[in-house]
Amino acid sequence: MASDNSDNKGAIRYSGDRLADYTGLGAGRGPVDVPFMMLALLLLTIGLVMVLSSSYARAYYDLEGQTKGNPTYYFVKQLGFAVGGVIVMLICSRLPVKFYRRFSPLVLIFAVLLLLLVFLIGRIANGAQRWLIIGGITIQPSEIAKIGVIMFFADWICRVKGDLKNFRRGILPLGAVLLVVCGLIATEPHWSAIMIIVFLALVMLFVGGLPLGWFIGGGAAVGSVLLIAYTFFEYVRNRVSAWFDPFADATNSGWQVVQSLYAIGSGGLFGLGLGNSRQKYLYLPEEHNDYIFSIVCEELGFIGAVLILALFSLLIIRGYWLAMHARGRYGRLVCVGITTLFAVQVILNVAVCTNTMPSTGISLPLFSYGGTALLLQMAEIGMILAISRTIPEKK
Amino acid sequence: MANQRIPGRGSGSTETMMIRRTLVLMAVCGIVAFLLLGIRLFKLQIIDHDKYEAAAVDQQLRETTVTSQRGTIYDRNMNILAMSASVSNIYLSPAEIAKYGEDPVAISKALADILDMDYDTIYEKTKNTSSWYVTVARKVDDDITEQVRAFKEAGYQVYDEKGNPVYDGDGNPVIRSYMGVRIEEASKRFYPYSSLASHVIGFVGSDDHGLAGIEYCYDDVLSGVDGRIVRATTANGTDMLFTDFEDYYDAQDGQSLVLTVDENVQYYLEKHLQEAVTSYDLQNGAAGIVMDVNTGAILAMASLGNFDLNDYTAVSEETLALAEEAETEEEAEAIIAAAREEMWRNKALTETYEPGSTFKIITLAMGLECGAINMNTSFYCGGSMEVVGRDTPLNCWNTSGHGSETLTQAVMNSCNVAFVNIGMKVGAERFYEYARAFGLFEKTGVDLMGESGSLWWSEEVFFNPLSQSQLAAASFGQTFTITPLQLITAVSAAVNGGYLMEPYIVSRFLDSDGTVVQQREPTAVRQVVSEETSRNVCEILEKVVGDPAGTGTNAYVAGYRIGGKTGTSEKVAYEATTGQKQYIVSFIGIAPMDDPQVAVLVLLDNPGENASTYVSGGQMAAPTVGSIMADILPVLGVEPVYTGDEASLVDRTVPRLIGRSLEDAEAAVEALGFTYRVTGDGDTVTAQLPRSGASIAAGSEVALFCGVEPEETTIEMLDLIGLSYEVARIRMGWEGLYISGEGAILGGGALITRQSVDAGEEIEVGSVVTVSVSDSSNLGRY
Repeated sequence: MASDNSDNKGAIRYSGDRLADYTGLGAGRGPVDVPFMMLALLLLTIGLVMVLSSSYARAYYDLEGQTKGNPTYYFVKQLGFAVGGVIVMLICSRLPVKFYRRFSPLVLIFAVLLLLLVFLIGRIANGAQRWLIIGGITIQPSEIAKIGVIMFFADWICRVKGDLKNFRRGILPLGAVLLVVCGLIATEPHWSAIMIIVFLALVMLFVGGLPLGWFIGGGAAVGSVLLIAYTFFEYVRNRVSAWFDPFADATNSGWQVVQSLYAIGSGGLFGLGLGNSRQKYLYLPEEHNDYIFSIVCEELGFIGAVLILALFSLLIIRGYWLAMHARGRYGRLVCVGITTLFAVQVILNVAVCTNTMPSTGISLPLFSYGGTALLLQMAEIGMILAISRTIPEKK
Repeated sequence: MANQRIPGRGSGSTETMMIRRTLVLMAVCGIVAFLLLGIRLFKLQIIDHDKYEAAAVDQQLRETTVTSQRGTIYDRNMNILAMSASVSNIYLSPAEIAKYGEDPVAISKALADILDMDYDTIYEKTKNTSSWYVTVARKVDDDITEQVRAFKEAGYQVYDEKGNPVYDGDGNPVIRSYMGVRIEEASKRFYPYSSLASHVIGFVGSDDHGLAGIEYCYDDVLSGVDGRIVRATTANGTDMLFTDFEDYYDAQDGQSLVLTVDENVQYYLEKHLQEAVTSYDLQNGAAGIVMDVNTGAILAMASLGNFDLNDYTAVSEETLALAEEAETEEEAEAIIAAAREEMWRNKALTETYEPGSTFKIITLAMGLECGAINMNTSFYCGGSMEVVGRDTPLNCWNTSGHGSETLTQAVMNSCNVAFVNIGMKVGAERFYEYARAFGLFEKTGVDLMGESGSLWWSEEVFFNPLSQSQLAAASFGQTFTITPLQLITAVSAAVNGGYLMEPYIVSRFLDSDGTVVQQREPTAVRQVVSEETSRNVCEILEKVVGDPAGTGTNAYVAGYRIGGKTGTSEKVAYEATTGQKQYIVSFIGIAPMDDPQVAVLVLLDNPGENASTYVSGGQMAAPTVGSIMADILPVLGVEPVYTGDEASLVDRTVPRLIGRSLEDAEAAVEALGFTYRVTGDGDTVTAQLPRSGASIAAGSEVALFCGVEPEETTIEMLDLIGLSYEVARIRMGWEGLYISGEGAILGGGALITRQSVDAGEEIEVGSVVTVSVSDSSNLGRY
């Protein structure tokens, strides 16, 4: 796809008609970053295989539910979204960075509107209102809020240039936006999303140039939010106590974690072999979703799990590398934001599966079952690829 | 890079700061965090692998037990005494009935019909829809199980929600078998001889494990090892897909046991003990042991009353009636429980008693062995004697005294005074030394459950030189208690050449193919007395039975050299607490005396008011032992050898004469010592009385019919009690009846004490009536 860029090496072209500028179609630009894209596609492929393996049993035994006993039900759906996701990724990779920047505030506003909708009509699942069903498609607005915050922060930081220290122009509006978003998510509640969004905001400010001193204060603030969450919400306390000793209540609140540990632990060095998980036979809940990594560990063993983590690590390192080399502060910040979002999701998901932190509903990017989330992730990958195109090709 | 910087987009220092800070993020989020996660995985997957794997496997695997076949118990001739038949338990899974929408009414009706049970009872069970296992019937036989299986497989037609039948792709109606009706394999213990040797064999509980007798003692060997099927299952309990993980651990069937018990010997022992219980009105039942004196093998062991092993909890109707009258339910249960305890107790093994005069065999043996006495020692009995330490003189059972007597006569008379003298000569220390050597201070070690130990005076008391009353009483078997098994084991040692054998009841262990895995060899514990002493003891004991003047003549069996000793012991402890007298009368017989093979000990516990004869070992236990000997010696292959006198008197078996020529038949009958009478004028015998195979007294007149049928007339039975055997035969012969004798039919003063058909009853001409003959000329508690 980069073949027509041969005569545009080394610089971003600002000429050309506006449509081409906005869509990127036919616009002469640098090539997309092949290593990053291949890593993403490789992980997506492995993730698809794991969705098939992990969801097989659950789909097969669920005679009354939506799968009607069709063992490949989840896989086929996920496959469809993956194909769609690749197309979305390609489209997104063709769009110019300027286009994204222009739409940054709109994305955030869109996310806030969706959050408001959730607040009003959201579907109740797992004791929290997190989902919107629009035309048969399930959307989790907090996911959109994450990218919205990234884009808005990147845009705003560019606007104020280096003047983040200025309270009225810098911290106040950003803090206000963050407060609104987090406040809305808190009504669901969805603490892991709040944590991630706050973390993303901090990362954006950090890379955006906010003096380090501010982070000490910010750290204190986050700490107190966590403390408040722990003190006032029984739901949070249950999660935490289940974390410290999942076996104390293995049949109830500790069930997921215990089953996840059984899966991971019984994998051993080489695993039981692809498709041979036993824990997926209705023992481990959410086995093709939040806990898909546990099945990876069980089937592919320590070696397979570490290899997949290494791929994720490479993807993230490459993402930051692209951020460091990208042209333009906005693109750079968005690239850092999205890469950090991926990193945090992967790290927290694996940490939950291994009971390194209390269980929260964080899915594993590119692996966990979930169509709209996958589409969004592929769009984000596409954005990074679009940004990667601002990097001049090496001679 | 600097030359590629976009103009107007921030200063160089901002660029550097952003790159640096991104680099920090890359290090933290891209490398450090992943390293930590890798370490965490290493801990879980490598270090704690075994722990989690074990826990996971534990929840993923389900075990199904495959019941092992319990071994068979055979008698010494490989007759089956206990065996396991495969049966099934029928149960319902109401949860699945509900889950699959099966019709509980149809299921209940069908099962009620097949299992012959109440419909409502089964229907009630189907309602418990939270349960996966509700037992309907246990230990159901195979043919019934097949009917249940057929019903289950035949299944039912499937209908959809609208009530229309569901068809498969080929247009056939969909039939589904009943998932809620379940069959599981089980096994049931079966005892072909019902009550025979019930105390020895024992029984198993509902879990198929032994609760009593051999079944309990050898439970480990008999039960084998259950097999297992281990399957990987889902959290819902169904089989995992694609996992061929299924492990079989084969069931190891239990070993079979071959006992030393002989079913025939056991049968005769129980038969004659039962007769004794009836005719002597025994209040506390009876016990008996038949032992191979040379090996210690137990050929039979019985304790009456018996119980049916196939229904071992059933108690007598008297007990049930008693329980009915009880005021509270607990009381009723206690009555039944006590009755069962009593019924299940193996008296021959668990009840200790004072052996009384039967113990004189041991005193005799030790006296001869240690040289305190010899075959020429003589005694004087004045009816009583003074004993150091006793306030009153010690009386002989015959208070008028036996006068001057030889050692043999003293034993024949069962003279207490003579035996106290022997005990004194042996001395207390040596007495205990020998008693210990005869195994009377310890359990015999027999491989049966519940053996009791003996109770003796402490050495301090027994050895006291200032009081010899304990020694004196012990000399004729009083003031200590032992078990019947200890006594017969000790007596066997006294007559078998002096070797104390360890009694045993299991001779061989067979694996499921019938191959001998282990063979039990007789174990000699020690030699207690010399062969010479043993021979002398035998010689004397034979006189007790064989000599008409002996106290054991009622145990005599024509054709056999039987020896033995009577015993009549008063239950001293019982008298001390209640003031009433109760007796255990006993007899230990040994045969044949020229080469002792078998010993028979019989204990008759507490003869009641309706006893048919005088309460003593000689009058009650001796004839019982005689009857047992007469039946079991042929079974054990001991051939009778008749003396001239005996030959003319002993009962003979009538041969089959029908079809033979008259001449031939007459000769055959005469040759056996019978006379004959011919009716009809044919040349061939067409009918005979009595029937062939009947055993009747020698000298009886056999009726031969040639061409005419014998008249079928009945007459009233005569009263034969008190007549001699000879007179009874002649009187009966006048009426066309025959007698067959049991007991001392050759004894000089022997008289009939019992008859199998009561006087006055109608009886067919030509019938054979069995009578018991007993010598009552010498009555006493000996």
